[in-house]
Amino acid sequence: MIARCVHGLARLIVGLAGFILPASAADWGRAMADEVGRMARAGEALRFALGCLLCAVREAFGAFAGAPAGADLDGGGERDVPADPAPAAPRPLLVACAAAAVLLGLGHMSVGGAPATMMLMNLIALALGLLLISTATMLRAMLPAPDPRTLSLLLALLLLAATLGGVTVDGATRWIRLGGLSIQPSLILLPLILLCFARSPSPASLLAILVSTVTFALQPDRAMAGALAAGLLGLALLRPGRVTFLALSVATMGFVATLAQPDVQPAMPFVDRILSTAFQVHPMAGVAVVGGALLLVVPGLRALSGPIDGRPLGAVFVATWAAIVGAAALGNYPTPLVGYGGSAILGYLACLWGLPRTAALSGRVPLGGGSSALDDDYHLLSLALKD
Amino acid sequence: MVRQRALSPAARLLLAALLDAGPGWTHGYELSRSAGIKSGTLYPLLIRLEGQGYLEAEWRPSAEPGRPPRHAYRLTEAGRRLALAHASERCSALAGDLRETIA
Repeated sequence: MIARCVHGLARLIVGLAGFILPASAADWGRAMADEVGRMARAGEALRFALGCLLCAVREAFGAFAGAPAGADLDGGGERDVPADPAPAAPRPLLVACAAAAVLLGLGHMSVGGAPATMMLMNLIALALGLLLISTATMLRAMLPAPDPRTLSLLLALLLLAATLGGVTVDGATRWIRLGGLSIQPSLILLPLILLCFARSPSPASLLAILVSTVTFALQPDRAMAGALAAGLLGLALLRPGRVTFLALSVATMGFVATLAQPDVQPAMPFVDRILSTAFQVHPMAGVAVVGGALLLVVPGLRALSGPIDGRPLGAVFVATWAAIVGAAALGNYPTPLVGYGGSAILGYLACLWGLPRTAALSGRVPLGGGSSALDDDYHLLSLALKD
Repeated sequence: MVRQRALSPAARLLLAALLDAGPGWTHGYELSRSAGIKSGTLYPLLIRLEGQGYLEAEWRPSAEPGRPPRHAYRLTEAGRRLALAHASERCSALAGDLRETIA
């Protein structure tokens, strides 16, 4: 039993290593996960996985600093260092944005006298999110990448099911109860549905947008309906296309439908409207909240400034999260990451996982020459560009 | 003027292990054990060797039926020359040490 747990931990660690590794070394991440998966002795697998994580961190920071991938073959000193033509997106930097936003929010909550359980829940959600992306990376190393068209529809149906069977508070049905916790599925599922659509617009992913639109109109939820429309607008501006315009029209109509319905939710302390109320708590708390909210769009801006193929995903990311933050500033809606609430933290980290890795999209061949999930990313984006 | 530095001990051990493996393909865990270096050192070296054209790395069909392909490694011709050069260098150094001891 213990051996199985240790082995599971080793797999998670090596999955995290695969997530952190720059795109140019993605195949190596899969190779590491494969080796750990084949090891019979749990202790050895754990040691091996920890070494892989160390390697991944080194590689990622090497890529961030512009150094060539890999350790020095020599003992150090002078030698020619070839320039890396396409530095990879540093995954640790993206994760650091999320962690920093959560920590800035905790600072605000601490100054404002929020209950310790709120802060603990946000920290647990951050840890859980990191665990989930390492698990997803590990699974991606072992399983074929899911089709974004099918995935988007599945996620949208989950969203609808959660709304139909969810908890109603003051006339809005946005939450589900899971193990005593109140979860807002839309904050987790919507960004992923949008990224799936951006990767591959199709009748199935268009249907997913339609289902999501109806779901938000039913709740009603102006913030999420607005984020859906904003994400599609971002996509349409960068990559106009028939299916995208159709989806944007549907989402805009849904947003208008939510505006026509009364917004009955009262503001919750440390959750809603904190972008304005934080300054009343303390000027530094206000700066922390605004700074944390601004950090949320940084990963998307990096994708926007990267290779052309990845820019639509960056546009969707920036527009969606900016709209969610904007809604929180204007209405009684949760402020993601800097406010109390684990759903947004989980959704944001999942969204980071869905962003492309820069080097892979610039057309670099993955090391090792084998097919990889990154090839799939490139293929899916190529399909998406046909819209 | 760029001065060529000696290989690190871990790189020497890895090259020797790859040389011992001959023309056949070998894997990460096996290399870690045969070279006696940890994975945190092994993979950065493999990545660098591959990037510099000293190592071939590819997904090969697994020897065990029903198992997925496995990432496998072997030295390229340039890698073999590098490994042999360092092996002969080491032999010469050992021979020199031995002569000094006997004398």
